[in-house]
Amino acid sequence: MIEEVRKLANEWLKTGKVDAILGLKEEDGHIAPHLFTKADELDSLVTSPKYPLLNTFRPLKRNILYLIQKNHRNAKIGVVARGCDERALIELAKRDQLNLEKIELIGVACTKDEAAACSCPKPYPRNIVVGEKVEGIPSDPDIEALLKKSLPERLAFWRYQLSKCIKCYGCRNACPLCLCQDCKLEQELWVKTGQLPPEIPIFHFIRFYHLADRCIECGECERACPVGIPLLTIYKLLRRDVKELFDYEAGVDVKQEAPLLTTLDETPMRSEE
Amino acid sequence: MSEFKPKIVTFTCNWCSYAGADLAGVSRIQYPPNIRIIRLMCSGRLEPEIVVKSLLYGADGVLVLGCHIGDCHYIAGNHRTKKRIAILRKILSYLGIDPRRVRLDWVSAAEGDRFAQIVTEFTKEIRKLGPISKEVCS
Repeated sequence: MIEEVRKLANEWLKTGKVDAILGLKEEDGHIAPHLFTKADELDSLVTSPKYPLLNTFRPLKRNILYLIQKNHRNAKIGVVARGCDERALIELAKRDQLNLEKIELIGVACTKDEAAACSCPKPYPRNIVVGEKVEGIPSDPDIEALLKKSLPERLAFWRYQLSKCIKCYGCRNACPLCLCQDCKLEQELWVKTGQLPPEIPIFHFIRFYHLADRCIECGECERACPVGIPLLTIYKLLRRDVKELFDYEAGVDVKQEAPLLTTLDETPMRSEE
Repeated sequence: MSEFKPKIVTFTCNWCSYAGADLAGVSRIQYPPNIRIIRLMCSGRLEPEIVVKSLLYGADGVLVLGCHIGDCHYIAGNHRTKKRIAILRKILSYLGIDPRRVRLDWVSAAEGDRFAQIVTEFTKEIRKLGPISKEVCS
C-alpha cells in the first residue's frame, strides 16, 4: 500500500501537479510530519503509525498548512490524508485556517485493523486513491457502557478518570481543531497554574464544549493522553448530539457553517426532548 | 436537620429579563428568595464555563434568563445562548451532573409575573433534586 502512495507522490512531484507533499516521514525509527519537495526523499514517506499531521503548531498558533500557504500563496500542496485527516482539512478550511483549493489529496483508506483500533465510524476519505474501503465501526462499547450508568455512577467514573490528568496539554496539542489563538486552558481564570489534577471537570469541560461542533473523531486526543482518559467517548456522544440537534456533521461539507456560530434562522435547532 | 435552602445563581440579560425581575419587584410579586441575580448585557455573554463553575463552587442550580427569541437587543444573542445551553446540558449529563440543574428560559421586560413564576418553579425543582452533591464541588 505504501508503495502505491510513494509512486503516486513521485509522479505528482515530477509532473509538477503539486509543488510539495505533506506527509509523515520516518527517520531513525521516529515519525514526524514532513514536507516532501524532492522525489528522492520519498523513500522515507510512511502512512502508519498514525500521527497528528494537522495539529496547531503552538509557537505560531497555526497549523502547518496555514503557515506554508501564508508564505507561498500559490503553492500547490499534496497531502497524504486518511479519512480523519480529510475531515480535519475540511473543518479547518471552514474556519479559515487553510485554503482547500490549493490542496490535492492522496486519499488513503485505513485497513480493517486500523479502523478497529480507532473504532472509527468512517475510516476512509471521500476519494480513495490508495487502499480498499472497509466499513466503519458504528458503535463504541465505551459509549454504551457510559449511557447505561446512572448519573452518580457517571460522576464517580469521570472523577476517577479525570483525577488521573497530569495536565500535560497533550489532548489539546494533538487536536487538529484546537485552534483558538488564546487558549482558555492557559488562562488563570479557568485553569490555575500549579494545581494537579486540574479542577474537575472544568479543564476537560472546556475542551468538550469547544470541540462539540468541531470534533471529527480522529481520536488523537485519546491517543496522546499518557494516562489513558477515555476522552473520545464524550466527543463521540457530542458528535451524535450535534447531528441530532442541528443536523450537522463536522468535517463533511465546507459550505455548511458550524451551528454554534450561527443563529437559529441559519441553523435551526430541534427541540431537546 | 434544617430545611434545605437552595442557592440558585440567576443570569439575566440587561434589556429584558433584568427589567422583568425589576418589574416583579416593583409590582411586589412574591417569589422565593433563593436566587442571586447576576446581570449580563446579553444572555449570549454567558460562557458555558461560568455555568459549570457556578455548580462547581456550590450553586445548587443555575437559571439563565434572556429575551424571547426575536426580541434580543443584539438581534441574535439569545439564539446562541439557546444552542450553547443545549450542548452544555448534554455534556453535564454525560459527566454525571443532573442537567435539570440548569434551566434556560425567556422573560421579557413586561413579564414580572412570568419571572416570579419561573423562579418559583425552578426553586421547587431544585428543592426536589436536593443539594448539589459534595462530589461535584471539589
